[in-house]
Amino acid sequence: MAGSGNAHLRPADEVVLRVEDLVVEFPAGGGRSVHAVSGVSFDVARGETLGIVGESGCGKSTTARALMQMPPPRAGSVRLDGVELTALRGEALRRTRRRLQMVFQDPISSLNPRRRVRDIVAEGPRVWGTGADLVDEMLTAVGLDPATAAARRPHEFSGGQCQRVSIARALVLEPEVVICDEPVSALDVSVQAQILALLEELKERYRLTLVFIAHDLAVVKNVSDRILVMYLGKVCELASGEALVGRPAHPYTRALLASIPRGGLGLPPADRLISGEPPSPVTPPSGCRFRTRCPAATPLCAAEEPVMRRIGADHWVACHHPHGRGSNGGEVR
Amino acid sequence: MRRRLGWGFWLALGWITLVLAAAAAADLLPLPRYDETLAGPPQSGPGPGHPFGTDGLGRDVLSRVVYGARVSLGVGVGAVLLGVLIGAPLGVLAGYRRRAVDAVIMGVNDIALAFPALVFALAVVAFAGASLLNVLIVLGVLGVPAWVRLVRGATMVFSEREFVSAARLLGARDRTVLWREIVPNVSLPVASYAFIGMAVAIVAEGSLAFLGLSVQAPTPTWGGMINEGRPLMETAPHVVLLPSFVMFLTVLAFNLLGDRLRALTDVRQSGLEPVRRRRAERLPARPHHVEEDVLLQAADLRTHFTTARGTVRAVDGVSFTLERGRTLAVVGESGSGKSMLIRSVLGLAPESGTLRGGHVYLDGQDLTELDDQQMRRLLGTRLAAVFQDPMTALNPVRTIGAQVAEPLMVHLGMKRRAARARAAELLASVGIPEPARTLRRYPHQLSGGMRQRVTIAMALSCGPDVLFADEPTTALDVTVQDQVLRLIRRQREERHMAVVLVSHDLSVVAEWADEVIVMYAGKVVERGPAATLFERTRMPYTEALLAAVPKLTDPAHHPLRLLPGRPPDLANPPSGCAFHPRCPYARERCSAEEPPLFQAEAPDHLYACWYPVGTGAGAVETSGVSGMSGAAEVLRATEAAGAEETTDTIEGADSRGR
Repeated sequence: MAGSGNAHLRPADEVVLRVEDLVVEFPAGGGRSVHAVSGVSFDVARGETLGIVGESGCGKSTTARALMQMPPPRAGSVRLDGVELTALRGEALRRTRRRLQMVFQDPISSLNPRRRVRDIVAEGPRVWGTGADLVDEMLTAVGLDPATAAARRPHEFSGGQCQRVSIARALVLEPEVVICDEPVSALDVSVQAQILALLEELKERYRLTLVFIAHDLAVVKNVSDRILVMYLGKVCELASGEALVGRPAHPYTRALLASIPRGGLGLPPADRLISGEPPSPVTPPSGCRFRTRCPAATPLCAAEEPVMRRIGADHWVACHHPHGRGSNGGEVR
Repeated sequence: MRRRLGWGFWLALGWITLVLAAAAAADLLPLPRYDETLAGPPQSGPGPGHPFGTDGLGRDVLSRVVYGARVSLGVGVGAVLLGVLIGAPLGVLAGYRRRAVDAVIMGVNDIALAFPALVFALAVVAFAGASLLNVLIVLGVLGVPAWVRLVRGATMVFSEREFVSAARLLGARDRTVLWREIVPNVSLPVASYAFIGMAVAIVAEGSLAFLGLSVQAPTPTWGGMINEGRPLMETAPHVVLLPSFVMFLTVLAFNLLGDRLRALTDVRQSGLEPVRRRRAERLPARPHHVEEDVLLQAADLRTHFTTARGTVRAVDGVSFTLERGRTLAVVGESGSGKSMLIRSVLGLAPESGTLRGGHVYLDGQDLTELDDQQMRRLLGTRLAAVFQDPMTALNPVRTIGAQVAEPLMVHLGMKRRAARARAAELLASVGIPEPARTLRRYPHQLSGGMRQRVTIAMALSCGPDVLFADEPTTALDVTVQDQVLRLIRRQREERHMAVVLVSHDLSVVAEWADEVIVMYAGKVVERGPAATLFERTRMPYTEALLAAVPKLTDPAHHPLRLLPGRPPDLANPPSGCAFHPRCPYARERCSAEEPPLFQAEAPDHLYACWYPVGTGAGAVETSGVSGMSGAAEVLRATEAAGAEETTDTIEGADSRGR
């Protein structure tokens, strides 16, 4: 699994965000490095929501930050509407980057405790000198009353309300793409549902393009048009939510689905569970990075890294032995 | 603001204001000149004209102390300002820019710190003379390294916060980010430290003056006065007393100001902190029946906190029973009281400001009657607990082996060698590979999942009867969560123990629990066997929680049913049914009368609702609710049409709303 390849990318004129062979590495001391993201590619069409799902350490949040060039990736390309972000520096980057905005996981830490809510939302318009008239509209759109809420400070709000402020701040500059990094994982289920519904509503109203990152597959499926599964810095599988949950092909996707408690969900019992935990990203396995935990691994998986290939209508997988397919020497299960 | 800062702050501020005003207005005060010799008889004690007496040259002591404040406060405030002016920008730069800038600034800083301060002071005074300005510069410059360190640390903390990333994404330039996002946050700790720095500078100036290295005579300074008065200690102690006392009070006052300001930045007080009180008080318990043959029983358990905002009813009349080999799950949103319920059962709720009520029986023995020592002996042996964050349960500087073996040696009296061997077996039984090697490792060398396995091994070490697991998998990945929950179930079966599982995750509860308690605002609102409770939900809150969770079987963009609002303020809960402001089926009665626990048709299934869902009672409203999840709607419709009303209250059939 966990392979590379760009076969799943669509023509450049059909997409607003195109990420190719993204590589992010951090020094790990002793001259070694953490291979956080190793050759990840994906694209997002205008008005689409791409979900990225994976467990901690799979590189999903690092990918989000690399898109923002915070910090810039070690290699690879990030194109927003055809503009290569990785080639931009300084002032040019500052001007282009505003078209990407982000909503973070921790609602408390995302807001400056010393500033008023109106100032927080109005910061973007203040920097650029445009859009100040949108501040009240955005506060209203996210369900806050500008008259009472705007003069208060973040600590006077609950986590869900802080997340609403974050969303308003991200939308007020009318960005091309909004990246949501685990926006609901710190919230109670009732508030989580409120925020998910809000994102769907705003997406309709402002024709937003979203990249929605989360570890909860059910949450991702609820909001996404397509879902990208990541493992240890690599892409495993890309498909619509229906195809991914109904016909998961990658052994890791299957394991992920099998681990989700099925209490009352009416899902078929899990076929095979994986044991153990992901290996260290400092010394990732050769070939397919999932092979050390994969029930279907063969010597081929250690020797050769699988690349993304098509196994159905808009269903792509990076695996030598995808479930239900006999190609490449894998047995049909 | 006044109440939060406390009276000590205002006293300190008052004293400093007084000293400052006196120093500033010294020339206007009806005092003899500080350098006027023989203003009175030398070394005379307090008397008319000279309320604090005169010194060896007959100069007025009070006048000299007042004029001396100019030097002390001037040096104190001036040195700090100078230190901040140089140190703070360097610290912000090092903390925000990092890398090379940080390395250079901190390198120079470390060298400056290593430079002997007294030698520096001596050298400057020797070459440049001991003027007020020179003393101020010496003390200011000596303070710079500390300021750089302090400001750099605070800047680093805040520049890692997401709001700084967000500002940069919005297009704010570094200068704007620094001024708007970082400086306001750094300034409060800097302000508090500045007051402490002023106290330090005043003491330092005093010490220099005592050594004769500060401003020279005849200009009075507090330290210089103490120095001059030293030979007169035996004949005229009052000469030393007043400057010492004033200096002491001033230093204390500056320290107090700084300390109180720092406390402000530490905690955000909500008015919900328990009011200080010596011991937990007991609330009367309602009469109850002590069940036989059950392992664990809670009867009318209550834990209330007395706070400035009123009584917080964190746990309010909770009862349940649990048998061996069963798992009881407690679910609810944050603030529902589920974690406090576990702490109350285990006797771990905070002592101060707490009102407790009800009883907990383990095999018929009332745990609430045990003293601390008896309870401690029970914890870890018959009752064991696993919490959300394994890192807080493990000591970071002790090996896994030492920590797992400890309860075996303490509670079971095993020898070290035997305990180590048993610890290895325990680690193996919770699925830790290479247990012998793991024994020698430290917690930080293990992954989150492995750490949680270790805490489970520790909890199981003495063969408990009940394992309490408070959100044991919330911090873990879903594949690891599955492994840990599987492990807990297997251990429960092997050891024939009972498990109490606290979770906010309904799908975890539905899969792993036998019985479920749903809590809302500190009360049980629904309770029953897991299958019944999830399939034949009666309480609208449970229904709403279930409907709010996205399901894998739903199509993409499936609208979730929204539960508006959020859990109530426990210091001021709504009248009647606490859920009524958020309930789509609420009617007048719900806000007026609190529903008791009714018995549903299935055995052991209880709910607290006047108009339960899935029965005829709520049918009128049900049909009008939009966005209802399909399955629930179908279920409710069938039941509303055909189900016989067999509900029965356990607290008096006549109190039912119908």
